[in-house]
Amino acid sequence: MVSINNYLILATVMFLCGTLGVLFRRNLLLILMSIELMLNAVNLVFVSGSRLVNNLDGQIMVFFIITVAACEAGVGLAMVIALYRRYGTVETSFLRMLRG
Amino acid sequence: MFYASAFLITICSVMVVTNRNPVVSAIYLVGDLFLLAAVYASLDAHFVAAIQVLVYAGAIVVLFMFVIMLLNLGPEGRAHLRIPAPEFAVLILTVIGFMAIGTMLLTAQPTGVGGDLSAAAIAADGGNTLNIAKLLFTKFLWPFEISSILILLAVIAAIVIAKKDKKQVVHG
Amino acid sequence: MGLDELLALLKTDVAIETIAAIIKILVVLVLCLQVPPLMVWVERRAPAMMQRRKGPNRVGIFKWRLYGLIQSLADTVKLVFKQEIVPRGANKVAYHLAPIFGVFTALLIACAIPFGNDLTIFGQKIGLSVVRLDVGFLFILAISSLAVYTVTLAGWSSNSKYALLGSLRASAQMISYEIPLGMSLVPIVIIFGTLDLNQIVVNQGAWPWAWGVIRAPVSFLLFLICMFAETNRAPFDLAEGESELVAGFHTEYNSAKFAAFFLGEYVSMFVLSCLASTIFFGGWQAPFLPYEKIVDLVGGYAWIAALVGFVVLILKACFFMWVYVWVRWTLPRFRYDQLMGLGWKFMLPVGLVNLLVTALVMAALEFR
Repeated sequence: MVSINNYLILATVMFLCGTLGVLFRRNLLLILMSIELMLNAVNLVFVSGSRLVNNLDGQIMVFFIITVAACEAGVGLAMVIALYRRYGTVETSFLRMLRG
Repeated sequence: MFYASAFLITICSVMVVTNRNPVVSAIYLVGDLFLLAAVYASLDAHFVAAIQVLVYAGAIVVLFMFVIMLLNLGPEGRAHLRIPAPEFAVLILTVIGFMAIGTMLLTAQPTGVGGDLSAAAIAADGGNTLNIAKLLFTKFLWPFEISSILILLAVIAAIVIAKKDKKQVVHG
Repeated sequence: MGLDELLALLKTDVAIETIAAIIKILVVLVLCLQVPPLMVWVERRAPAMMQRRKGPNRVGIFKWRLYGLIQSLADTVKLVFKQEIVPRGANKVAYHLAPIFGVFTALLIACAIPFGNDLTIFGQKIGLSVVRLDVGFLFILAISSLAVYTVTLAGWSSNSKYALLGSLRASAQMISYEIPLGMSLVPIVIIFGTLDLNQIVVNQGAWPWAWGVIRAPVSFLLFLICMFAETNRAPFDLAEGESELVAGFHTEYNSAKFAAFFLGEYVSMFVLSCLASTIFFGGWQAPFLPYEKIVDLVGGYAWIAALVGFVVLILKACFFMWVYVWVRWTLPRFRYDQLMGLGWKFMLPVGLVNLLVTALVMAALEFR
């Protein structure tokens, strides 16, 4: 493998893209997709770390992260559907019931 | 090889976040996940690479696409691109966080639960999947079983949340 | 550079591997791309035979009547020269990408199937699949789960009601049947103890009573049914049901892209047939003839034995392709709710019980 710095830089770039997506997009589904992107950046860090220290812990952690991400995507999408039924749209500017 | 994948992953990530049409963003996300699986495979993590394509690209993003298509979402309008202060702080903190992780990794010792297995040792021992299975069913058995209960809970939760309520007012 | 130096360069490990890889890729590619034209001919003559009529049998070159064998060529030429009409409002990226996904995933699965035993050429061990993966199984399952995107993107990007409906139904069907597909393959992994496809073929041996179909019959049945569902064929072809949804998800496609969809469908049929024969019917092992005996028969040349294995695998795959055509023209189509009910309420529990029973039996055999 090339030095771990390259993988970390790639992971940081992906994570930054995901964060920008969460902060600036107003479509709920796109926000969810950006969260998945962030989770994948973290997976990359884990796998490259596992290769670095010659330990399989990282890959098992990634296995569990993928599992949990699947559950979270499922529940998140169910919530999006419920919100769509309530408000007729998935724009985040309509979700203001908790605002002061 | 890694540089080509890294370049393509960066492009795909940016396209995911900046596209106006959610379905096209989902397509780029699939590309991202597939390329990432290729990177994992080059890091000798074959099992994780296969699982990534199987679960992430092949099921989760399909679910996203289903919801987008069923809700019939069209392209959204142009976004404004100022960066207010709190968000800027988040970005800076992200970069600092990753630098911290990098430092920790570079000074790490192989003392995890998984033991010390170099690539040659893994290959001689029967391959990546066999060793992961050995760990998963002995030392990580509790998390494995609990995650299966978690998946069951998530399925039930998703069905309950998305179920149509007969008394509900639509488009309130 | 003199001839001796060139030969010396070619004899290095890297060069041998690269040349072998290129040859393997070319062979697999040509093989897979020759299947659709032949299959189209079979698809029209076989039901003709079953329905006591003649299919297309007039197309020939110049004076020779070739009994319609190049009907596919004529059809392809017609399709390619048709004008390509892109529907207004179609999403350009997804519209042009969808047919490519189908062919891409089908050809990628073909890369993992072993077409023969390992050969030793110039001292270098070369497996006869395009790639040698130690997660061969998982790779195939993963790539076949990418095939859903073909249908999904095609229907949605066409900006048409029927196409969208057809594609949503077809993709829901495909993802529902992926689960019993994987579930039926896990007992195979338990029985054979490896994920490597070549190792599975070697473990099966030449005697038919040790083949996967005898050791795991329920798995074979589940896999066969899911095979039909995954390729949207035979009784599960609701998505492209001609009488119901115009043409389903490929309504708005014409000319070369339409041909690409059918190419993808037939190639994936062929590839899944090869997979079924690899896992359940002994792959490149000829029945009753162990590999060493074949090598002896041909005078010690391993590559002729490998060629025999290759032909054997193709013959077994042809058998499954015939089953595909036979079932398509015999059984009526499933209704959509019947189809989904079958997948979730019947095949998934059967797959789980199969897995449980296999695991218990294998554990009992271990502890004896």
